[in-house]
Amino acid sequence: MSNGTFTGGIHPPDYKEATSQLAIEDIALPDEIFIPLSQHIGAPCTACVEVGADVSKGQKIGDSESFVSAPVCSSVTGRVTAIEKRKHFTGQEVLGVAIKVGSQEDQAKTNYLKAIPAWEEADLDELRKLVREAGIVGLGGAAFPTSVKLSPPADAPIDTVIINGCECEPFLTCDHRLLLEKTEDVIVGSLIMKRVVGASRVIIGIEDNKPDAIAHMTKATASYPDVTVTALHTKYPQGAEKQLIKATIDREVPMRGLPMKVGALVHNVGTALALSEAVRLGKPLIERVITVSGPGVKRPCNLRVPLGTPLNHLIAHAGGLNAAAARIVLGGPMTGWAQADLSASVVKGTSGLLALDKALAATRDEYHDCVRCQRCVRACPMYLYPNFLATAAEHKQWSAADKDGALDCVECGACAFDCPANRPMVRFIRDAKAAVMARQRA
Amino acid sequence: MREERKFSVTEPPHISSGETVPRAMLDTILALVPVTLVAIYFYRLNAVFLIGVCLLAAVVTDAVARKIKGRKPSVSDLSVLVTGLILALCFSPLTNWWTAVFATVLAVGIGKEWMGGLGWNRFNPAAFGRAGVIVLAPVTVFLNRQFAGWNVSFPMSPDVVDSVSGATPLTMIASPQMTLDVPHLQLLLANPGGGGLAETSALALLLGGAYLLYRQHITWHIPVSILGAVAVLTTILGHNPADHLLTGGLMLGALFMATDWVTSPITDPGRIIFGVLIGVLVVVFRVFLGPTEGVAFAILIMNAFVPLIDRLTRRGVFGQLNAAKAAAAKATATKAA
Repeated sequence: MSNGTFTGGIHPPDYKEATSQLAIEDIALPDEIFIPLSQHIGAPCTACVEVGADVSKGQKIGDSESFVSAPVCSSVTGRVTAIEKRKHFTGQEVLGVAIKVGSQEDQAKTNYLKAIPAWEEADLDELRKLVREAGIVGLGGAAFPTSVKLSPPADAPIDTVIINGCECEPFLTCDHRLLLEKTEDVIVGSLIMKRVVGASRVIIGIEDNKPDAIAHMTKATASYPDVTVTALHTKYPQGAEKQLIKATIDREVPMRGLPMKVGALVHNVGTALALSEAVRLGKPLIERVITVSGPGVKRPCNLRVPLGTPLNHLIAHAGGLNAAAARIVLGGPMTGWAQADLSASVVKGTSGLLALDKALAATRDEYHDCVRCQRCVRACPMYLYPNFLATAAEHKQWSAADKDGALDCVECGACAFDCPANRPMVRFIRDAKAAVMARQRA
Repeated sequence: MREERKFSVTEPPHISSGETVPRAMLDTILALVPVTLVAIYFYRLNAVFLIGVCLLAAVVTDAVARKIKGRKPSVSDLSVLVTGLILALCFSPLTNWWTAVFATVLAVGIGKEWMGGLGWNRFNPAAFGRAGVIVLAPVTVFLNRQFAGWNVSFPMSPDVVDSVSGATPLTMIASPQMTLDVPHLQLLLANPGGGGLAETSALALLLGGAYLLYRQHITWHIPVSILGAVAVLTTILGHNPADHLLTGGLMLGALFMATDWVTSPITDPGRIIFGVLIGVLVVVFRVFLGPTEGVAFAILIMNAFVPLIDRLTRRGVFGQLNAAKAAAAKATATKAA
């Protein structure tokens, strides 16, 4: 049933040894946090606090009427100092709430939601409502509102909840640490998901470069008959949703379809933890674990960070950057966002903060015409022909790019990673996607 | 402490495997070192001279052809050196230097640069040059007349001279009147038979091919299907397949020319079709046309079909089959209702 892998993919060095054995640390509170009102897929929130207002930890500060959205909550107790546009990790300016962090004693003041300790008997809609109010989104990076994923239509029954513990991006170890340190929460969170969608089993997929996590989780889940742990091959992008489903239960999600079409629901380890904390403690999503690593960081670490914390504060905690730092990446090195500086703040989808040195940081300003070496074709987990797609996009042949599956590309970057001609595949394909979607709207 | 430095912003991925075109070309040259050494061992300075002429002609032609197009020479990506070296290895040690130069100019000037340069050329440059001097025989004859007396040759050991001046193994197997009088083991290991420099050792070529496979620059599909098709067909025709596998330019062509990235199919099934058809053509040429540069012609003919083969053998996108199935099921359900 489980073949533990998928077709395609690449084997980058995992660079995880710097932080994989380091326990999660707490970080001192910064002086100020900035919480963007749009940090998920879906409608942006509108602020529901005013400048000058006192807010307490866990209090909702932004919400939206839309179904596909998630509220944002304050991660600290303090005072709202501004509601303004500031630089987001994407490089664009986004509206957000700046909060001056109150004293250490103030932080004891919390404004959590009403927990549902008896979740095993609770009304399902009540649980969904709690998940929504807690502002939980997918913490693997895409930040899709979890409450939406937990509300599948009646004609798409879900039988399997898959917990994504692959962490296939190099350098990142936050999910690895959560599996080891927050074991019970991860299991309970996954059981809540299972109950809400009416699934019959939970599968926790973990790449086999984390044998300690596999052993630990296997032991911990022994007393839960519906929960199993599956060891998966270490290969990027093993943690991509469709590839993970293929590897764990050997089902192929239809082209441009959702996992529920094959009865599966995939959630990240961190999301399971957030769900467990929200349901059992009433704690909204106000913090997350982030790996700070890379050869440009003096003291790599895994940190539990209040959302909205400025990146500079994280780097300071990690001992600062050394002279070798040449590229700052928010997220993993394969799909993360390069940062011009450290002014952006941590959002729900932030899984890592990396400082790469010159030797590691790839630049694709100078590149060669495609030499048809086939490496990208072998690497593409979506079975595309990235060579044809990128060449069409390079020459602005948008119809050809559309036919070559521009919209099926998941932008995992495997093609670009292994391209001997150093072609900026992801840039080309993103251009094509934007053009094809613009044409479809027209 | 606040970090005030500014960093460059680029699109992901932020790391790369470190594979480069020059590295791959260097690997190909390294893979050809064993057979080159065997050839030099037997043919001495004749081999060195021929290889040197081809490499030099390749570099100069590249520079001139690209100058005409207003571009810088591309020698730094090393691909012209691969073309020059493979071309030299196709020629017999008795080849005139002007024929080698002519072939290289055709290969690099027309086969590669004139067709758009590395990545855009439709035909394998080395095969193009090798076949070109045969097709353009009148030009070669003219050159022979012009340069008569300018030939350069160096001494070889007497037994090598003997075997070079006789029939090549390919002529023996491809002519009805002759039979191969060289043991297969000798062809496999080391044999100065007077054919192309690369015909001195099939094993050395196989070693090089294994290295390219290990470095993942080539896949098994093309060499295995070419050699497999030749073995099967010749067996059916009542020949000894080893006669064919170990003679002529087959091994060099199957491992180093047909596997050329730019001019071979990009799909795995396409590579098998491409390889099998090359194998079929080689056998047809050898059996019905006698000893010619059948391998080069077979590769060139199939090069022309690569876009078509690619189009016909493309795989579906992840989940495409399931999407089609679901759509069909929905259609049936709607009809039933």
